This record gives sequence, structure tokens and C-alpha cells, in this order.
Amino acid sequence: MRLISIIAAALITTSAAAHELTPTYPEIEPAYVEGVSVIKMKMWNRRSDASYYEVNVYDDEWKSVPFATPEKIMKLSYLEHKSFELYIRDTDCDRVTYICTTSKQLKQDVQSTGIKSRICSKVK
Amino acid sequence: MFKQSLTLGAIGMVCSMAAASANNTPITGNVSSKCSIFTDTSGVYGNPTPDELSTKTADGGIDPVVRYDVTVADKYKAKISWPNSFSTAPNLSDAVNWDGETSVKSHSVAGMSAYEAAKVEYDNVTEFDLTLAGSTWFSVESEAKYGVGKSLPGGEYKANVVAECIAD
Repeated sequence: MRLISIIAAALITTSAAAHELTPTYPEIEPAYVEGVSVIKMKMWNRRSDASYYEVNVYDDEWKSVPFATPEKIMKLSYLEHKSFELYIRDTDCDRVTYICTTSKQLKQDVQSTGIKSRICSKVK
Repeated sequence: MFKQSLTLGAIGMVCSMAAASANNTPITGNVSSKCSIFTDTSGVYGNPTPDELSTKTADGGIDPVVRYDVTVADKYKAKISWPNSFSTAPNLSDAVNWDGETSVKSHSVAGMSAYEAAKVEYDNVTEFDLTLAGSTWFSVESEAKYGVGKSLPGGEYKANVVAECIAD
């Protein structure tokens, strides 16, 4: 019985899974719409325990910067790659410093202590 | 003469087919700066005393372990926070006192052992400068102690460790 519980614990606790966001230093490019710029990002979800990621944009003091994107919380299945674009007003471009994606776990997917991952790229 | 030209033709056809089948199918790759956060081990709270939950092995728990992979040195900072609230818990009528410790558990490059001495701690946050390319495993210990002389109400308890990788 004890052996079974040790094996079960090992199976539950050793599944490595990752969250990736690239590029590290994205560039702001002009968009097709006047007065708006675009930042292109890519994500890869290797976390089988997380399928939703929230996108946020911050300035250098970690204050939110307004932006538009088709999905602020995007669904990303396990092993799925996704390219996405963030649209920012030209007037806010100077403030944009960090672009972050944060894992959002469903309540039922969290074990005793869940791990929330957040990766931030920096606009230089 | 006809036989000879037929043979030559056949050889030519075989050669052209071989050339066609030797067409290259390229596999391209690119190593660029990147940080990946791996949830290596999900933690489990042990309940050593009626008023305490702890991930320490001695208390019957399992420390969560997070692995950071960076492909290029000195581009990222790891910021790891141990929990200071429950994401799921029964109704609690008293305060919970939280404590924790984040430490380097293992690493792929010898020089990464210096991360432990250079770490910066404040509140429930620990920061590590990822100055070398490779993998580092961090273990995150956490303890929750309930009010004085009170037992934690029965039910399910869950809390979140926040693992961040921020470009420098």
C-alpha cells in the first residue's frame, strides 16, 4: 500500500511542463491603421495543466498600458504554438516596457500547491 | 545499336529518378534568447499539527519545484513568490501566518551555485539574476499557521506559487 502511494505521488509530481514566450526583446512596428503600432509575439504551451494565458502590457513602473488584441485571455492547448499581435496607440508606445503572459489554471486543475507562471519580454 | 541506346536511356532515367529522390527536405532551427518556466514538481501540503500546513518533507509535504531554462546568459531575472493566501480553503475565522523560503535546488552549470548567495529576498518574493545559460531548479517551501491554539477547519486547501521570468 505504501509502495503504491509512493509510486502515485511520483507520477503526480514529476511531470515537467513549460511555458514559453518569445522574442525576449520584441520590436514595435507600424500597423496598417494610422496612429497605431503593433508588436508581434509567439507563445508555446508545454504545460498540460494550463490551457489559458492572460496577456498584459506594462510600463517601466509596472503600471498597465492600454492595448488591444483579439483575446486578452487566450486558449492555448497543450503543445500548441500561437502567434499573436498587440496593438498599441502611438501615443503609448514610449511607455511600453514589459509584455507578459500569465498562466491561468482552472480551479479543478490545481493540486495542493499550484504553480502560476509568468514570462515577460521587454521592449528596449 | 537500338539495344545500346535503350540501355543508355534506361540508365539516364534511373539517374534522373535518383536525383529527384535525393531532393533535400531542410529542417531549420534557431537558438534565440528565451526563458522557459517548467513546473517540475507540484507541491503538496502536509498537516503536521492541527493548526499548520507545510510543504516540508519532515512535515509530510512535498516542496514544489520550478525549473527555469534560459538559452542566452544574462538576459532574464527569475522572480519566485511563495504563497501568502489560499486560492481554495474552507471559511477561516482567524488570520493565517505565512512563511516560506525559495532556494536553488539543482543546476546544470557549476557557476549557477552562486545564485543562492546572490539572491534578493523581500516580502514573499525571491529574485535571482539568471547570469548563465542553462537550467536551474528552484524549490519553494511554504508554511501556513492558523491563529493561536486553533485547528484549521477540515476541507480542501490550495495555494499558488508564482514563478516569473522577466527580461532584463
